[in-house]
Amino acid sequence: MATTESTPEVNNEFPSFSDVCAQWHKAAENWDKFHRALTTDAKIAQTPKQLVWTLNKAKLYRYTPVVPEEERKPIPFLMVFAIMNRPHVLDLRPGHSFAEYMLRHGYDLYLLDWGAPGPEDKNMKFDDYTLEYLPRVVRKLKKVSGSDQFSMLGWCLGALISTMYAALRPDDGLKNLILLTAPLDFENKDAGGFVRWSSDPAFNADIIVEKLGNVPGEMIDNGAKMLKPIENYFGSFTMLWDNIEKPGSVEAWHAMNTWVRDIIPMAGGAYKQLINELYKENRLINGKMKLRGETVDLKRLKANLLNVIAQADHITPPCQSERIMDLVGSEDKELLRVRGGHIGIMAGRGAEKNTWPHMESWLAERSG
Amino acid sequence: MSKSDPKANNNGFNPFDPTGMLKGMRDSNMDAWAKMMVEFVNTEAYAESTGAMLDAWLTTSGPLRKAMEKSMAQALAELNLPSRDDISRLAERLTHIEMRLDDMEAQIDEALPTRSQ
Repeated sequence: MATTESTPEVNNEFPSFSDVCAQWHKAAENWDKFHRALTTDAKIAQTPKQLVWTLNKAKLYRYTPVVPEEERKPIPFLMVFAIMNRPHVLDLRPGHSFAEYMLRHGYDLYLLDWGAPGPEDKNMKFDDYTLEYLPRVVRKLKKVSGSDQFSMLGWCLGALISTMYAALRPDDGLKNLILLTAPLDFENKDAGGFVRWSSDPAFNADIIVEKLGNVPGEMIDNGAKMLKPIENYFGSFTMLWDNIEKPGSVEAWHAMNTWVRDIIPMAGGAYKQLINELYKENRLINGKMKLRGETVDLKRLKANLLNVIAQADHITPPCQSERIMDLVGSEDKELLRVRGGHIGIMAGRGAEKNTWPHMESWLAERSG
Repeated sequence: MSKSDPKANNNGFNPFDPTGMLKGMRDSNMDAWAKMMVEFVNTEAYAESTGAMLDAWLTTSGPLRKAMEKSMAQALAELNLPSRDDISRLAERLTHIEMRLDDMEAQIDEALPTRSQ
């Protein structure tokens, strides 16, 4: 076999003083950009919307429609995000916003923001979110939209609440349900750090809540970051530095970081339920979950179902969302696996090309 | 290679690039560290130690927090001011009133379907 050897050409010319100065000047500029992205807030959640309902800290918004009424889909669409984060990730930044995308496609769009629980909300449980707040939100949505039917998207713990609501109130007019990275099945105690950590006997949610009331946002945030410590504590920042000269990447990172930094506590009662009744006892899947004395029977969930799973999700591993497909009573159901992580599938670069169009077309077919 | 490209020296190594050296070191180690740390945080030992540390922190800080709460409640009572618990109870009652108002509004809406939004 013939081999060729080549010696790289080495340029031993010393850089000029002006080149070195230019390099250092650029580095200083980059450092300034880096510092600004870390310490300032980007403008997120900019899509125009009106507040239509409030209860305690919860707020229901209606986004201002952008297509004429006659071209709009007749069935309104409600988005329900998790209870321990702000929902702004659904409307991250102009030009890269799921809310904006759905409005452009003619949806009458609503957003439920659970708000940040105060000390007085420390006893709030999933019972309250599912059976006190959500039914009232739906009642208001129906009144404002004039429609008896609606579609709902639940993401993360918002998907858990949406699932339980859909099973407990199947005749409330819910036509289509989209679940995103839904943590529902905790049978596999080795899947994901959260289940593994909280299943340990030393981890006592009752004591945490007794001592702290609500679970501080910092504790939840650090717990989530510790699932992938190097990526979250270092990788994210090195990625920003590597792309510091690409304005689009910096803008995207800045918007995401603004959302990530805006942490809120989780109501103590809900946290206890999540750890004890779901993570440890897997009550929902075992048919033993009770809210306000009513058993959550997943077979009663009849809405058309699109279950979106993130294949690289370390917060809600795919196995936590899969089994519901066999347990619900829906006749029209689809499981969609998307490449990406827990947040990336909706807010990452591929979301606009993969997740959003698929969800929109699925919903459009069922929103007539 | 242009004269103005300082990276042309020494196979990409450039002593005048203030971050290049660190970047090289980082790239060669980060993936290995990331994998190792993910494995580490998924061990029983990590779960046990985290739970124990959390428990120890809550147990040790608990009495101090309780003492502070007690003395603060006493001080506020002396000054005829409501405590945090008083305000929390009031806020809970307000939420219940809000719920009742919401239900009443819905009933009015139902009785008067033409009522404007």
